[in-house]
Amino acid sequence: MLRVSAAAEAVGIPSSTLVCESFMALAKAASVGLGMPNLQVATVIGHPGLQSKEVLQRNVREVTLAGVMDNLLKLPAQVTASQEPGARDIVCRGTFEEVNEYFIAHELSDGLPIVPPTVEKVEAFLRHTDRHPDEVLGVPLPDSRAATIWSVAVNGVMAGCRPEYMPVLVALIEAMVDPAYGVEHSGNTPGADTLILLNGPIIKRLGFNYTQGVMRDGFQANTSVGRFWRLYLRNVVGFLPHQNDKATFGNTWRVVVPENEDVLAKIGWPPYCADFGLPAGSNAVAVARYTGGNHISSVSGATPEALLPYIADAVLKQYSWQIMFSVCQHSSTLRPLILLSPILAETIAAGGWSKQEFKQRLFDTVRLPARELEKILRDWTQKPIWNLAAEHMAGHLPDVFHESDDPNRMVPIVWRAEDYMIAVTGDLGRNSCYVFAHNGVFGFPVAKEVKLSRKGT
Amino acid sequence: MTNSEVAPYAALWPRSPRQAKVKSLAQRLATLEGKTIAWVWDYVFRGDEVFEQLEQSLKARYPGVKFVHWSEFGKSHGAEERRVVAELPQKLKALGVDAIVSGMGC
Repeated sequence: MLRVSAAAEAVGIPSSTLVCESFMALAKAASVGLGMPNLQVATVIGHPGLQSKEVLQRNVREVTLAGVMDNLLKLPAQVTASQEPGARDIVCRGTFEEVNEYFIAHELSDGLPIVPPTVEKVEAFLRHTDRHPDEVLGVPLPDSRAATIWSVAVNGVMAGCRPEYMPVLVALIEAMVDPAYGVEHSGNTPGADTLILLNGPIIKRLGFNYTQGVMRDGFQANTSVGRFWRLYLRNVVGFLPHQNDKATFGNTWRVVVPENEDVLAKIGWPPYCADFGLPAGSNAVAVARYTGGNHISSVSGATPEALLPYIADAVLKQYSWQIMFSVCQHSSTLRPLILLSPILAETIAAGGWSKQEFKQRLFDTVRLPARELEKILRDWTQKPIWNLAAEHMAGHLPDVFHESDDPNRMVPIVWRAEDYMIAVTGDLGRNSCYVFAHNGVFGFPVAKEVKLSRKGT
Repeated sequence: MTNSEVAPYAALWPRSPRQAKVKSLAQRLATLEGKTIAWVWDYVFRGDEVFEQLEQSLKARYPGVKFVHWSEFGKSHGAEERRVVAELPQKLKALGVDAIVSGMGC
C-alpha cells in the first residue's frame, strides 16, 4: 500500500494510506526505505477482520475519515535523512564482549553472539570470490540499501561462516534480490521463513550434512549459512521485528538442507535444481519461504501406489489459507514442497515412478471439495470478491477448478503437476517425509548457480 | 562507539548505505470539493467496505467530490503489485485523479 502511495506522490498526486493501528511502526520504517519518510497514513482502528459491519463503519467515520482528510489537505513538515556510518566504517573497537554488546544495542545482531567482523576476516572471505567488493547485487526493499559483495562478506563473518562458504553466500543474495522471489514481502504477517536447498559437489566439499538430522543445527556449514540469511535480511534488507518485520508469531531461521545426490543418482531422479533449469552436477542454491511444515512419520507400503494416499493426505492437511496463492489474488504461485527420505524415494522409484510421475500422482490425488476451498477463503479468512466458478468464467483459473457446478466436485490446490516440488534428503533408513506449507508469491522459489572462485574454493 | 584499553577487535558496520534519497511529498490539495479521489486496494481486509463508508462521508462534506473505483487499478499487493504500481502514474493521469487513498495495511 505504501509503495502505491509513493508512486502517486512521485508524480505529484497526494496520497493517504490506510493502516491498522498495530502496523504504524512498520509503515514508518517502510516509508524511510521508499525515500519518503513522511508518507501520510490514516489510522484504521483494530483489525477489520474482527469487527461487525456497524463497528467497522463507526470506526471509519469517527477516526479514519479525519485522517484521510488531513493526509490530503495538510502538507507535513519536511524530513531529512538520518546520518549513518559509511560502508567500511569501523563502528566499534573493543573486546569480544564489548563488540557484541554494541551490536545488540544497535540492533545489528540476532541475539546470539556474533563473530566480530574485522577487516582481516572480511578480506579472507573476499579471497573466495572473483567479484569486486563494491559490486551491487541489488537494492532490495524495504530499506533500499545496496546489497554489495562486501556486505555479504561482513554478514558471513558475523554468522560464523567459514571463508570458503563465500560463493554460496553470494549465490544466496543473488537469489534473495531476484524479483521473482519477492524479498520485499519477508516481513508479512504469516512470518514465513526461508528454506535454503543446496545441490552439487559443494555439499560434500564444504561439509554440509545431507543425511540424518538434516534440518537440525549442529553442523557448521548448514547452521551458519542459514543464520547468515537471516542476519542479511536484518542488517541489509531491513527486516527487524517490531519495525519492518510484522510476523505475527514468526519462525527462527532454518538451517540449509542439501539433497542426497548419491541417492538421486542411484534412482535416476533429477536434482531439485533441475526444476529451475540447472542440470545435475550443478552447484546451486534454491530458496523459498514456508510458513511451517510437518514431519509425516512411518509412510508404509511396498509400492508407490500404497505410499501415495498417506503422502497426499499429509500434503492436503498442510494447506489451508495458503490455497489463496493458487486461486485467489495471487493465482498460481503456490509451490508445495515435500522432502522424501532416501528410502522412501527409492521405494517410489523402484515402483517405476519417475519424479514427474510422482508429481502427477500428487496432483491427481491431493484434492478437496470446491465448497471447502471456497469456505476457507471466502468465509473464514474473508478474502472476498471471488468464487471458483466466477474466477474460472473470467478466465483467471484453469478448467480443473470448475469442471461442473457441483459444490462437492473435487478440485486441486495447485494448477499443474509441475507445481509440486520434491527433494530427497534426511535419514537414509527411515520411511518418512516432510511437507512444507508454502507462502506463495511472498517467497516464490528461485535458484541460482553457485559460481566458484577461479582463485580457489 | 565503545573503547577499551584492550581492544582486540575493530568491528565493521554490517549495514550498507541506503540508495533511496529523501524526496518531497506532493503538494496537498486546498479542498476536496470538485476533486477526484481514486481508491487503490489490495483486495483484502474489507477495504471495499471501508472505501464505501469513506466515500459516503466525504460526499456528505464535499458534494462535488468524485471518485474512481478500485477495480480500475487491479490488486495492489501480491502477484499483480509490480504491474499495478508501474501502470499507476499513467492511469492516474488518464483518469484525471487529484488524490489517492491506498489500503489496507493490516
